[in-house]
Parts: sequence; C-alpha cells; structure tokens
Amino acid sequence: MDQIKEIFVRKDLCMGCHSCELACAVAHSASKNIYEAMGEHPMPKSRVYVETVSASVPVPILCRHCEDAPCMHACIAGAIHRTADQAVVTDADKCIGCWTCVMVCPYGVIGRHLEARKAYRCDRCQDRDQPACVSACPTKALVYQTVTDFSKDLRRKAAEELSRGEGR
Amino acid sequence: MAANQTYVIIGASAAGLSAACAIVKTEPEAKVTVLSEETDSPYFRPMIPFIISGEKSPADVAMTGQGPYQAKGIDLRLNTRVVSLDTHSNQVKTKSGDTVLFDRLLIASGSSPYIPRDIEGTGIKGVYALRTLAQARDAAQRSSSARHAILLGGGLLNLKAAFALLEKKVAVTLVVYSPEILSQLMEPDDAVMIRQALEHAGLKIMTGRSAKTIVQGPNGVKAVILDNGVDIPCDMVFIGKGVRPCVDFLKSSDMEIDQGVVVDPYTRTSRENIFAAGDVAVTFDPVTGNRVVTGLWTNAAEMGLCAGKNMAGDPTAYAGTFGVMNATQVAGLPFVSMGQVHPGSGDYEVHRNVSGNAYRKLVFSKEGKHLVGLVMVGDITHAGLYRYIMREQRDIRRVKEKIIGQTLTSAHLMYG
Amino acid sequence: MADARVPRKKSLDPAVNQMLAKAKKENIQTIWDRYETMLPQCGFGDTGLCCRHCLQGPCRIDPFGEGPREGICGASADVMVARGLDRAIAAGTAAHSGHAKHLAHTLLKMATGKTKDYRIKDEAKLKSVSTRMGIPVDGRSIADIAKDLAMAALADFHEKETPVMWAATVVPQKRVDVLLKHGLVPKGIDHEISEIMHRTLYGVDADAVNLLLAGLRCGVADLAGCYMGTDLADILFGTPTPVKSEANLGTLKKDWVNIALHGHNPVLSDILVSVAAQKQDMAKAKGAAGFNLVGICCTGNEIMMRHGIPSCTHSVSQETAILTGAVDLMVVDYQCIMPSVATVAQCMGTQVLTTMDLCKITGTDHMEFSEEEAGKKAEEILAMAALNYAKRKGKPVEIPDVKTPVVAGFSVEAIVAALSKLNAVDPLKPLVDNLKAGNIRGVCLYAGCNNVKVPQDENFVIMAKKMLKENVLILATGCGAGALMRHGLMDPANVDALCGDGIKAVLTAIGEANGLGGPLPPVLHMGSCVDNSRAVALAVAVANYLGVDTDALPVVASAAEAVSEKAVSIGTYAVAAGLPTHVGVMLPVMGSPLVVEVLTKTVRDVTGGYFIVDLDPESAADKLLAAIDERRKGLGL
Repeated sequence: MDQIKEIFVRKDLCMGCHSCELACAVAHSASKNIYEAMGEHPMPKSRVYVETVSASVPVPILCRHCEDAPCMHACIAGAIHRTADQAVVTDADKCIGCWTCVMVCPYGVIGRHLEARKAYRCDRCQDRDQPACVSACPTKALVYQTVTDFSKDLRRKAAEELSRGEGR
Repeated sequence: MAANQTYVIIGASAAGLSAACAIVKTEPEAKVTVLSEETDSPYFRPMIPFIISGEKSPADVAMTGQGPYQAKGIDLRLNTRVVSLDTHSNQVKTKSGDTVLFDRLLIASGSSPYIPRDIEGTGIKGVYALRTLAQARDAAQRSSSARHAILLGGGLLNLKAAFALLEKKVAVTLVVYSPEILSQLMEPDDAVMIRQALEHAGLKIMTGRSAKTIVQGPNGVKAVILDNGVDIPCDMVFIGKGVRPCVDFLKSSDMEIDQGVVVDPYTRTSRENIFAAGDVAVTFDPVTGNRVVTGLWTNAAEMGLCAGKNMAGDPTAYAGTFGVMNATQVAGLPFVSMGQVHPGSGDYEVHRNVSGNAYRKLVFSKEGKHLVGLVMVGDITHAGLYRYIMREQRDIRRVKEKIIGQTLTSAHLMYG
Repeated sequence: MADARVPRKKSLDPAVNQMLAKAKKENIQTIWDRYETMLPQCGFGDTGLCCRHCLQGPCRIDPFGEGPREGICGASADVMVARGLDRAIAAGTAAHSGHAKHLAHTLLKMATGKTKDYRIKDEAKLKSVSTRMGIPVDGRSIADIAKDLAMAALADFHEKETPVMWAATVVPQKRVDVLLKHGLVPKGIDHEISEIMHRTLYGVDADAVNLLLAGLRCGVADLAGCYMGTDLADILFGTPTPVKSEANLGTLKKDWVNIALHGHNPVLSDILVSVAAQKQDMAKAKGAAGFNLVGICCTGNEIMMRHGIPSCTHSVSQETAILTGAVDLMVVDYQCIMPSVATVAQCMGTQVLTTMDLCKITGTDHMEFSEEEAGKKAEEILAMAALNYAKRKGKPVEIPDVKTPVVAGFSVEAIVAALSKLNAVDPLKPLVDNLKAGNIRGVCLYAGCNNVKVPQDENFVIMAKKMLKENVLILATGCGAGALMRHGLMDPANVDALCGDGIKAVLTAIGEANGLGGPLPPVLHMGSCVDNSRAVALAVAVANYLGVDTDALPVVASAAEAVSEKAVSIGTYAVAAGLPTHVGVMLPVMGSPLVVEVLTKTVRDVTGGYFIVDLDPESAADKLLAAIDERRKGLGL
C-alpha cells in the first residue's frame, strides 16, 4: 500500500506571512476564488493557524489527524470520521455545533464557525492533489510528504550540516 | 495472545461500541458479542433532544457506520438485558433466561436517570427522565400537542431538552433546587451570562425551588406542585437530576462496587478477565486522584476505546477524567467546564475575567504550578489545549501569563 | 487560490510563443516562469490588505475575519486599501510627469542654447500650446516662446497662484466646474504627489473617502503630466501624422545592426533615430546592411508615430526580443524595463545599455545620456551597437518570421486634418454626424500594458474585435496599441473583416478623402502612454463641439491587461474625466468593500466616470457597450 502523505511543518522556514491561512480559507470556499470568497456566507475559514512561540518565531499549527483522534471519539453526533487515506474529517452536515471536539483537541486546531454553528478543521484538501496551504507557502515551510520521505529529508539536511561543519 | 477469545460486552452505547470496534481493530479474528437491553439499534444518545425537536430522525442518530463506529462483524443482540454475572463460570444470564459465556467481559451497562424518591407522581404518563430513544420518540409525540413543560433540574440535559421543546413552541419552566442553573458544572457567578441568555431565549427559570408532587389528570400529568405550595399547570414534566451507574445486576457478583464498578488504570476490574468502562465504571480524577463516576459520552467513548484495547491484549492506560467536564452551546452561548470548577473559598488561585461576550474562570493550584479547573463561556477557543495541560498536569508556570491572557497556543507547548 | 489564474496559454502572439519555446529549450527563465514560481500569490497583497507604511508593520488584515481586523495603528481595511491605491496613483503620476519634466528641461536647454541637438519641429503647436497657456506669441522669437513655455511647464509642478494649467486649460469649462466643486483641481503636479505621500503617512488621513478624493485629484495631476508630455514631445519632435510601419519580432533583421529602443521618452530615442539615418556607414563598415532600429514599449510607439520605426514587441514579451539573439544593443531610458532583461541578455550575449541616472540595472552597461551632448552620445551608442554586430555576425539567430503591417500616427491634429478633407470648414462635423447617425456607436480607448496574468493580448483582441463589429471607433495607446497592432488591427486591409458596416463606412470615407485609396486602419494608434492625453483631447474637442461635458459622451476606456501603476493613474484620470473605465485585471482593492463601492459606483456621483473591473473580456466588452448606449441615450441619440 502506498504510504499516506501528511502535511509537515518545517518551522524554521516559516516567515509568518499567513499566506497558508488565506489559501486554506479560499480552498474551503464555495467559489475557490479569493475575491468572491471574501463575500461568501458563511464566511470561509482557514483551518491552519500561524501562531507565534515568541514575537519573532511564527509557526503554523494544523490538525495532526491523530491516531485514535480524541475529537472523533468524543463527537456526540458521529460527525467525525477517518477517510480511507487516514485524514480525520468533520462532516459539516452532521455537526451540531456542540464543540465537544474543541474541548478535547489538545492542539486547539478545531475551529468554530459561529455563523454556521459548525466545527471545521483541516481535511488535507480532499479535492486537491496538494493541500492549498502547502501550495501557498512561499518558503516551503509546509510540505506534503510521506513520513518516510519527510524523515529522509531531515536526515539528509542533518548530514549536510554535519559535513559542512567538518569541512571547516 | 488474545486470539480466538470470546468477547462479550454488556451495553451498546459509547463505551460498549468503542470497545467493540477497538477489539476488532486490534484483533480482527475476535468474536465479539454486544448485548443491549434496548430494542433500538445503537444511537448517539446525546442527540435524543433533537428527536424531540424533530430536527433529527432516529436514522440520523444511528451509530453503526458513523464516526469511529465502522467495525464490521460484531454480533449485536438487541432487547437482551443482562440480569446477573457469574465471575466463576464466566457467564452472564439474560432476562430471557439465556446464558452467554465469555472469555473476556466488558461491563458497559451505562447509567440510568436518578429519580428523587421525595417527589410524588413520577410514574405518571407525560413524566420523563429522558434517557432512551424510545422515550424521546414518545416525548416528541406528546410535545406536539403540549403547551407547557416543567423541567426539574438545571443541568445540561434539561437545558437541551428545554430548547428542543421551545423549538416545538412548548413553553418551558425550569425548576432548579440549587441557587443557580448548571450547579454541577460551575459556581453561581459563572452561570450569570448563560442564565441571562437562557431567559432572553424565552426560558422561565425558578431557582431554589423543588417539586413536591406531580398531579395526574385525564391525559397524564396536568400540574406540578412546588415545595412552596404553588401549583403550576403543565402537560409534560422532565426530570433531569443526574444519573446513577447501572449496577443492580452485579449485586450478586463479587465485583467491587463503589457507586459504580471499580477499575484500575487499565480499566480492569478486580477480576483479571473482566473490564468496565463508561458511566458504570469508577475511574479517577487525574488531578486529585479521587475516584469519580461521570455520565459523559465523551468519557465513555474514550474509556471504552482503552478497555477494548486492553481486552484485546494491547495494554493502554486510561488517563482518567475530570469529575466535571462538558462542553456545549445553549442559547447561542458556547461554554466549557472542566476540572475543579467549584473552588469556593478553598486553597486555590482563581482568576476571573469578563470581556464583552465572554467569561472565563481559571483555577490554579495553590502554589500556582498547575491549572486544575476551567470555565469558559462565550469563547471556548483552545479549550482542548487547557484540558490537555490539566490532564497531563503540566507545570504551567512558564506559560501562566499566556493562559491568563488567553494567548496560549499549542505552538508554545510544542516549540516553546 | 491563484492557481486558477494560471493562464491557459502564455501569449496570443505566435512570435512570442516561438521565442518561449526557444527559452524553454535553452533553459532561460522568462516572466512567465517567474510568475508560475510566484503562484499562488499573497492574498493580502492581492486584496490590498497589507501595509508597510510604518516601522511597526508590516500589518495585514484578515479578510476572513479570524485574524486582525485592523492594522496596529488602527487603520481599517478601507483605509489600508485606499492608502495603497493612492500611493499607486501617485507613483503613476510621478512617472508620467517625470517624463514630461524631462521634456520641459530639454525644451528649456534648447531654448537657452545649452544644447544644439534639439530644435522646434512643430512651431504651430508651440504657438497654440503657448497661447493656451497664456504666453504671448505674436512677434516673439521661437526661442523666447519656447523658453516661456518650458518655464510654464516647470512651474506646473509646484504649488503656485494658479492651478495646474495643463489640467485646467485642457478640459471643458463644465469639467473644470465639476472638478472645482469637489476640490479635484490640482495645485501642482509634484505637490499632489507629495501630498499623497504625506496623507498616506503613518497617522495622517484615515478616511477612505477623503483618501480616494485625494487620489482622484492626483489623477487629474497625472492627466496634466501626460498632456504636457504629449505637447512638448510634439513641439520638439513633431506632431505625428499617419505613417506606415510594421510590428513584431519579424522586424528584426539578421544582417543588420539591430538596435532595440526600449522605454518611454523620445528625448533619447528620437535623436538616435535621426543620427542613425545619417550614420548608416558606421554599420556598413562593420559588414552590416545598415542600422535597423526597432522599438519596444512606448519608446517604440513614440518613434513609430513620428518616424515609422517598426515596433519589435511590447510589455510582457520584452525579453523575447533579446531571445532572438539578433538584438545587438538594447538601449533603455526608463519605465517598464524589467530588470530581467539583464539576465536574459547575459544568456544571449546581448548588450543592454541604460542611459538615465534614475534607471540603472545591475548586470547591464550604463552610459549617462545628456541633452547637451545628445548627438555625440547617440553616435557612441551606434558605434557600440555596430561593434556588437561585428561580434555577432555569422552566429545563428532565430528571428520569428512574423510581422504585421501597421498604419500609425493618429494625433488629434492628424485626425482633424484627415476629417477636414471631408469638411474643411467644420472638420469635426463629419465625426459628430456619424456619431449621431450611429455609424459610430461610440468611442473606446484601449490603453495600458500586457499583464502576465492574462494570455498576452487576449483581452485586448477579444474586446476590440467585438467592439469593432459593434461599430465602436477604437483608439489605442501604449502597449494596448502594441497588442492590437501585432494582431493586424492597425492594418487597413483588415477593415472589411473586422469592422461593422457603420464604422467601416466612416473609416473608408476618411481614408478615401485623404487619397489613401482605402480605409483608415480599424484601430487608430494615438501614441504612447502619455499620449492618452490625445484621447482626452479628442473627447474634449467633441464635447466642446456638442456643448456638453465629457461625462456625457459615449466614450469609454479600457486598460484590459494593466500592469503599471501608470495604468492606475491613467485609469483614475479617465474616471476624473467622466469616462466609464474598464480594468481587465484585479486591482488590489478587493479587501475593502467600501473602496470597491466608491470606485465602481459612488464616484459616478462626483465625476460621472467609474471603474468597471471585469476579468472576462467578453462580458467587459458588453459592459462598455452598455455604458456607451446609456450615454447615447443621455444625449438623446
């Protein structure tokens, strides 16, 4: 079986531009077009959050699609399920806006759409080849890879740094 | 190691089905039998107020194949009430006299509504202690022609029922014995905003009062007489006074009972091959270490998942739960309550904050090292993050200002 | 989000596509590659919701309401967007008027004998413009008049007793009254630019509507800068008359010394054209057939209008000229010169020469041009090009065999002269009669640039073709003219195929009365981007003839593929003049519903003009036609 791709954060590369947030909101709009999306009701919402560790250290936070996702088990309406490609997704039609998922998500990445009274969260852009946030990131701080490829890249980078250090 | 075991689960709600699914996932060859006393297929119990309001149909609230309840091959037996357990011969006996043998048993029999003995007439037609889909269907029907309902108790279940009834144009009076609504989930001062919102939404609330007698008329209930003698006409009564674990059928067994069935952190009872989870189980508060029983779907599902894994040979500790934990939205106000929310004048550091449409109460341990309780009303952003740091008992001194200022994000915990 | 905006094709121009294939093969990056790398573009910038006007920033406002709803200083989305738009208008105004100021200094140097290489080529226009400016002309020497006119021009840049004369004297009195009523008469061109910089500073103007009114006033100052640029260029280099030429990369010639003149101001290019004509021997000495000068962007328009020099390419495709390998020297002055020409030139071994202190590009050579030594500098440039040719000779080049006949040179004076062949006494009468009769349904000006977000030329060509069929008289300037000429819309041979019967009859009647043996071209080329003033002048002439204000005319404008902030300021003065003005790419204003409302609706109550933002050329054309019809109805036609 093909390994599932996930969204990984390379936080050292994040510039804090919030482009991922806009792209995410647009990708989850009806029109898929920023100019029209801004006027839609309910207002499209981003599911990625550029938070700050300190004023100068931004970091994008998004749903981890946890194994044994607490939100999925906590949901009292059966609105959260795991797709075949391992994304944990919220079915807006079934969501009743009780916010139990918000109460149990340890990452704080489930949003509450007050206008629509629906919880929303990253769905890894089920209808796109690559999640919109990843496409939008100008510095590639967000990558869409398999765990294997992501850790391979990390190792390669570490090795490069090591060899540069030795060459000095 | 657990291959070819026969698993029997008593109860087909959150804990029971979560466990069943976890067993099948861990041990695909396992034989899993789930016994349910109800005649309805498993359903999302917290959704039954929507049956009353008519916003959902019974099919909408069915569990099988929804959310995490996707496992196949589970032998589900409805209308099968367990009346006794024999821990020596590893079998349970059902009301119809059948015997069901097990290698491993999960007690997930849940809880039943508490009905105060000092109220007369609780058996009259039109009086509900809302628990099952069958009752909800009945209440839905009666509410279609009802004009006034009196709800006894100011807890969440009654609030949800109240809004369902308002949807059906039934006037609602909430009679609450405590000084304020939601007394289990918060202190009176914390509930001010919610009470205002409820009254604004059309709910009549009487606090410090209790019902004495429910009066029967030709079509069932016709009035409630309060403890001050006042007689209020009504055609429906809902009793929402909390729940008690369903342990009656265990009385003849040697299970350790302390309100509910006592389990260890691995959800195991005093018997090696018998587990318990959900409302019926006694678990522990991760902060205080005290034994707690709760009646919360979310806890039951989480604990059931642990129990299922443990039963199938994948040891998984349950992290415990707060005696108080709930989230919902009523009258347009979301709120969350968890942990030590009744600090009273006890030895805690308490921060309260009111801003615009939001209220927050943070309860820290006396030395300020741990967050132990939280009430959020109006804005519940990052509630799960606080639950996590409370449950894990994280030393929060480094991020305390951020918690108080409500600027904490998971970024601080992951990368800070 | 922006993924959807990756154009299906890059250009409608086969010559450009041939060069892009070459670039791909040789792994040379072009603007289209850089655009794709940039996608998706930042939504905050795209919607105008970012601000870097102070050091507390950068700030951005979240249009989806989750994040910040105002800047750190408290600036609302409306204020942020209006401030950003104002600065774009100021930048465009600075560029056009900078171009005009350069001409004014040149005129002054000429008049005071500081340079011998320039002269007055159109004395009649010198006198008519001077008269309009209140400068006495009778019995005075040309040099004296020229000096006074140059001084008057320079005086229009700063605040003085009178308003900006190049604005106040060029529009109908009714329009002056409208502008006065709303405080839209500029006090000085530089003053308005500077005031925009002041009011958009941290902590000054925080009223979006007030900001937009200031932007409109600056737009009127831009009209003055453009108008002055046209006037002074005509005086110094001659007012254009119809001329035959050609367009596209096929105008480069393998065995000639190809010099591409790129940028805007004829101060440099016109001299080069004159000197090259006299110094063909320099090229022949290096084994070439001669000098082949071609234009790019508005420099190309200036020298095509006055000398029939062919236009090589325009705007977004400027790199493709270099990609042919046949350009021996690209000489640039300023505006719209992409820094990437340096890189592409390095790949192709082409020399790029910058000539103006305010526009140097790392990786190119620089020779500071001066009006005092214009002829000498021109010779040096020609020598440089000839030398490069000697090095290039014999090496392979790839020149697309694509070029299109063009008839250009339609200044207002030229149009009036042509019309006077139909009615010598009352030359505007035939034009107005045809307008009334419906043979001319209305007039549309196509201006502006080619934007990489649009398949090159597509918006222009689709819209112009549609409107020609609907009997709209089409004028074009700048790279809009470049777009239309490349696709044969300035070739009289295409009138039959492209034009509706009404406009066909008009173009044919004028052409035949002028002894052309056929019609005028379907689209009339009016010049460079400063020459949008010519379109205003024509509209003003018609308005005056009819005794109405310009906002009553069935005249519309379109910057269908706009890029530059100059297009923003031009669009602003078109709206200030009362024209329905189409922009075919998104302006960075969508983050403010208020600003959008003002630009597309409310401003109509002020000036009669308004913006139409529509990215679809078909529906944009429909909207412009509807606007034309609405105005015809207003005139009782």
